[in-house]
Amino acid sequence: MKSISCPINGTRPLQEFQYGGEVREMPDPDRASDEIWTDYLFNRRGEPGVTREWWYHQPSGTWFIAERDIVKDEFLRTYLYGSETCDE
Amino acid sequence: MSRRLPPQPGEWIQRDKAVEFRFEGREYTGFQGDVLSSALWANGINVLGRSFKYHRPRGIYSLAGHDANVVVEDRLRSNLRGDVLPIRGGMDLRAVNTGGGLAGDRYRIMEWLSPFLPVGFYYKAFHTPRRFFRFYEGLMRRAAGLGRIHVGARADMSRKDYAFCDLLVVGAGPSGLSAAIAAAEMGATVLLVDDQPRPGGSLCWQHLDAPESRSDLLEKACALPNLEIRSNTQAAGWYADQWVALVDDRRLTKLRTRATLVASGCIEQPAVFHNNDLPGVMLASAAQRLMKLYSVKPCDRAVVLTANDDGYLAALDLADAGVVVAAVVDLRPAQSCTPVAAEVAAHGIEILKGQAVYEAVVSRSKNGIAAAVVCCLDQNGQPRLSSARRILCDGIAVSVGWAPNASILAQAGTRFRYDSQLQQLAPHDLPRGVFAAGRVNGIFALEERIADGRQAGLAAVAFLGHQIEVPASVPRSRTAHSHAYPIFDHPHKKNFVDLDEDLQLVDLLNAHQEGYDSIELIKRYSTVGMGPSQGKLSNMNAVRVVARLNGQSLDQTGMTTARPFYQPVSIANLAGRRFHPYRLTPMDGWHRQAGAVMVPVGTWFRPEYYATKEKSRADCVLEEAREVRRGVGLIDISTLCKFEVAGPDAARFLEQIYTGRFARQNIGRMRYALACDEMGYVTEEGVVARLAEDRFYVTASTAGGEAFYREMQRWAIVFHMNVVLSNVTAHMAAINVAGPRARGVLAEIAEVDIGATEFPFAHVRDMVVAGVAAIVMRVGFVGELSYEIHVPADKAAGVWDALILAGRNSGIRPFGTEAQRLLRLEKGHLIAGHDTDPLTTPFEAQLDWAVDMNKSFFIGQRSLRIHAGRPLERRLVGIAFAYGYLGELPEECRLIVNRGQIAGRVTSIAGRTTVGGPIGLAFVRPDLAEPGTSLCIRVDAREMSEAQVVRLPFYDPDNTRQT
Amino acid sequence: MFRAPERLKDEYDVVIIGGGGHGLAAAYYLAKDHGITNVAVLERSYIGAGGTGRNTAIIRSNYLTPEGARFYQASIELFQDLSRALNFNLFYSERGHFTLAHSPASLRTQRWRAEVNQHLGIDSDVVGTDFIKRTIPEIDLACGGHQPPILGALYHPPGAIARHDAVAWAYARGADRAGVEIHQKVAVTGVEIRDGAVTGVHTDKGFVKTKKVLSAVAGWTTYITSMIGLRTPLVIHPLQALVTEPLKPWLNSIVVSASLHLYVSQSSRGELVTGASLDPYPVLSMRSSLDFAEGSCGHLLDLFPFLGDIKVLRQWGGLCDMTPDFSPIMGTTPIAGFYIDAGWGTWGFKATPISGKTMAFTLAHGRNHDLIKAFNLSRFPNFQLVGEKGAASVGH
Repeated sequence: MKSISCPINGTRPLQEFQYGGEVREMPDPDRASDEIWTDYLFNRRGEPGVTREWWYHQPSGTWFIAERDIVKDEFLRTYLYGSETCDE
Repeated sequence: MSRRLPPQPGEWIQRDKAVEFRFEGREYTGFQGDVLSSALWANGINVLGRSFKYHRPRGIYSLAGHDANVVVEDRLRSNLRGDVLPIRGGMDLRAVNTGGGLAGDRYRIMEWLSPFLPVGFYYKAFHTPRRFFRFYEGLMRRAAGLGRIHVGARADMSRKDYAFCDLLVVGAGPSGLSAAIAAAEMGATVLLVDDQPRPGGSLCWQHLDAPESRSDLLEKACALPNLEIRSNTQAAGWYADQWVALVDDRRLTKLRTRATLVASGCIEQPAVFHNNDLPGVMLASAAQRLMKLYSVKPCDRAVVLTANDDGYLAALDLADAGVVVAAVVDLRPAQSCTPVAAEVAAHGIEILKGQAVYEAVVSRSKNGIAAAVVCCLDQNGQPRLSSARRILCDGIAVSVGWAPNASILAQAGTRFRYDSQLQQLAPHDLPRGVFAAGRVNGIFALEERIADGRQAGLAAVAFLGHQIEVPASVPRSRTAHSHAYPIFDHPHKKNFVDLDEDLQLVDLLNAHQEGYDSIELIKRYSTVGMGPSQGKLSNMNAVRVVARLNGQSLDQTGMTTARPFYQPVSIANLAGRRFHPYRLTPMDGWHRQAGAVMVPVGTWFRPEYYATKEKSRADCVLEEAREVRRGVGLIDISTLCKFEVAGPDAARFLEQIYTGRFARQNIGRMRYALACDEMGYVTEEGVVARLAEDRFYVTASTAGGEAFYREMQRWAIVFHMNVVLSNVTAHMAAINVAGPRARGVLAEIAEVDIGATEFPFAHVRDMVVAGVAAIVMRVGFVGELSYEIHVPADKAAGVWDALILAGRNSGIRPFGTEAQRLLRLEKGHLIAGHDTDPLTTPFEAQLDWAVDMNKSFFIGQRSLRIHAGRPLERRLVGIAFAYGYLGELPEECRLIVNRGQIAGRVTSIAGRTTVGGPIGLAFVRPDLAEPGTSLCIRVDAREMSEAQVVRLPFYDPDNTRQT
Repeated sequence: MFRAPERLKDEYDVVIIGGGGHGLAAAYYLAKDHGITNVAVLERSYIGAGGTGRNTAIIRSNYLTPEGARFYQASIELFQDLSRALNFNLFYSERGHFTLAHSPASLRTQRWRAEVNQHLGIDSDVVGTDFIKRTIPEIDLACGGHQPPILGALYHPPGAIARHDAVAWAYARGADRAGVEIHQKVAVTGVEIRDGAVTGVHTDKGFVKTKKVLSAVAGWTTYITSMIGLRTPLVIHPLQALVTEPLKPWLNSIVVSASLHLYVSQSSRGELVTGASLDPYPVLSMRSSLDFAEGSCGHLLDLFPFLGDIKVLRQWGGLCDMTPDFSPIMGTTPIAGFYIDAGWGTWGFKATPISGKTMAFTLAHGRNHDLIKAFNLSRFPNFQLVGEKGAASVGH
């Protein structure tokens, strides 16, 4: 079983976590065309490489962001949403 | 005739403990420490099994569990491997997959049919006409498989353990022991596992010229408190992040290690010649195991076929055991001569260099061999038949090469390359934190293996962060221990590349000729390597064959992929004890005592209804519902998800989560709340109660609420909301008291005035109920006056009892989920997830009233704008059957059909109601949604029923009852 | 079986990326139905290396939506005659398919599926526990108390298994005989697009000109779409399976339990083949997990408690290109000449013949075949989802 490093709780086994999908920026709903809006809704990056994803640590209720190589299934970095710039 | 040898040093059998067992209906005696194969062989039995396809006689081949020659079953267990099955008193075993027993196996006829059944023949025949395939398939299925199932069998419950260490060492041979000692001496916590009953690896049976090595290493290992040795334990699977499945006969241990060192050795490989599968032909290592571990003589007169020093050593061991070694046949050309060869020659054993065993001659009994036919090899390494010579023997020990026991290394992502000096594969590219030592690493001499183990152990410790000097790597052996092509064609075939699957050399040649030209395609077409031993003895030779056919190197040809498990693992081991946690409400005991029929709802159990003697389920449900309509009932709704949303942004946050308005909701008021996903589809419903300016109490559904809460948490982050969310589902229990007499009942135990004006509909109050601080809401889902009482879970049972007591004179009775569903349906309330599916918009569900499209933003709003601009595809409507309808009612999910086309679907149905005739909800095409429209609903494949679209709700349309 | 052409030609009428069942079937029907034979199938590895050779080989048509059920039913009809048509025994074996229900809610969904199926003439019905026990006497309806008991099942008599690799081989041979070139060990490195239209394909063996490209690589689709900037909803999840040692045949039916996340059948070799639900997060490589093996074995014992001493031989993984509505993505795309056959999730094998046939039609005519119109990529922006989740998730 993989280990994941939660930014709050440290390294814990995968079974304590839930995947929450790719991180996607919501376009301004009032300005976005239907095309841009439905692209946001339905389409995903999905391609090989490093992807920013939401992960949830179930026992503590912590959402955080992981940068993961989805080909190698390697977690490169995890941090809380919005804090990616400060921890570098 | 006993083949048991006099006591041998280091033997594993205990001669003072005789074990009696039965095999194929006959009594045999062995010793404790024997495996089935060794005990039978000791008793002079040659035929221990039948081959899978041709039912040829089979005996001992690897004696290491690396072949499927000896597979047996008893009354409860199947597919046991005789080579590794310890015998126990009273065992009653028989060989699997025989027609009427091992000796007279009727399916021997398959061998005579074999010329008509070339590889892949089944793809070319029997498919036309289709009828014929059915018949043929029946025959095929009868022939398939090994052991039978035993429906009465129950495996012992297997434990699961967790373990942690710094370094896992796989294999307790010389290199593994040495590695484990070196690492443990540096302070690492080391776990050393070995699948054999005793540690020592090949030191137990191969290097008895160096007995002190084993005792020295074991002594050192046992003295180290931070080194644990587990025998009889296989490292079965290696998974991401150094998570390893260790399996012994009682448990699965899930190990998290920081590094893995593999010293799993090599697996000796067969030579491919005519009749290379018959009893008496065995790997030299099997002969040595037989002699040294179990003190059993492999045969009386042996020929040793070899291509390395190991074969010569085996010849000496055979001679020591009193076996006449008729010849050592060495595939290598004449020039090579080693000290050990000289020693063999000194024993007076004939050495035939540059020669091969071309075939084994079947004995007259057909149960073994009578001779080996030996030929000189030409420049191409193929036998020159003119030189053929017959050497009488009843055993052939084969030692022509090794393949790394690579499973764990390969599972961990190690790449292997063909080492042309060794003539075998060796690890090329070890992943981080993975180490290899000893023979699996291409190092063969005993001293060098011990040194290599030490080096790898120290390298692993350095990887773990210890500041130490790591000695230089031990170079790989320079001499080949394997032969490049120990494979010989024969006009009569029966030269098996894969013993499990009865695949002959010609089968691979044919597959290749048909265009299955890569190793993966040949594997799939011919099934080479797909049998129970997963190619441990066949993959290497198959790759050699394919490489030669393609004129490619072995690296270009490639290996097939290694997958867990190293050796098969029982289902019981993997399953372990099964935990199925579920949640109970504080009133669970009460419900059960009151005769409730409990049903699983999400992770909870809830009363479906309370059974009364001699009454049907439907009667019970209807009575419970009637009681609510005319008196008072109560229901445990503790399973609802309950959240607190607090903080300065709480109201603004809920506005964005739900489709309705909450910003201007007054303190002390509660409201229905509907949530959609971003696509505008209905996901959740519940109520939102405002307890204070900055504090809300929210409920959500039992099954979907937890996921909804997670999403709320995420949106709070994304929206940068200053809110605190708490999931109080487990903390708070809840009871709904409903019915015209509900007020009277609650008033008895509530410590405030709950009159209609003091506590009106859609209000929420903090109050003390039966001495317990409660949040009480006036809700109306069941269509009656009702109170939802939320109290801390530990006090809830007391409040429930108090309500029952207070309602005693009002005839209060509990009701279950079925009555609640009926009451809600009558009131026209849909149940999200029951009446909706994952692609239902609020507009389709007639929930427009709960959606405020004029708000600045809520989740799903942007998509609902798109939906709103499109024609509706369906609408959820009420349907009613004529009063007194006597026909069969459609079940939920039956289709509505209009002119032969699907026009909708029933989502809810209730046959007996408190409002008269049968009613329901249904999705229908918009043109059929007008009240008064007549609908044709399927009842079964032939029958249709008729119902009318009616206005909702079915009960109390003016809401006079719930105020 | 089929030739191995020396080198790629300069130009093809159609280039098919992916030598799995779908790509090879499309090539076969292009030649056979439409006379288009100047076709190259490019396979990065060996034919059938992807989903074709990794799935659990279950074929059925008892889907939930009329669009889905109709499509898969057409596939079954092709399958039933395919061994004869391709002169290759595919071991197409009708075993009957049970989808067990452990809750009233799942019985409802199954009733819904049965209704839609029957409406379309598909043999499918909800059956009670007596029928289940009669057909599979070994099953423990009470699930040993570990799970909610079995209440009934959706039963689909035509549910079948087949030899999966053979399907790829048979189509390959058929396509080859009709003149199609099959190139193994050729990797596509790019698709050339000029003015919104395909002009050729870059490979590690050089560039080939073509105006029509079909991407039929299922779990590897995002590798291709990311080359050309085509955005899709596809997310790739691993799906795992395991087999036991061979046993004398006893399980004649295919058994699926959605609430146990388990499906199991017995192959013609006697192995029990079982799989579970998708891995819970996307990964683009095939690997196994112990959690899967533990979970599947536990659930296997829930249904068949006597299997404890039976041994698991190996486990493996495949890649599933998942769509939000559990239906495939087929047909034309916004890029002229670029056709897609993807979104095969866990349900691709059973669609092999019909996807080949309909994609061949679509390539030949430049417009979507009627059976696949509902599955076009444009359904997402149009909110015309084909919701199969209830039928497809652990349906297999």
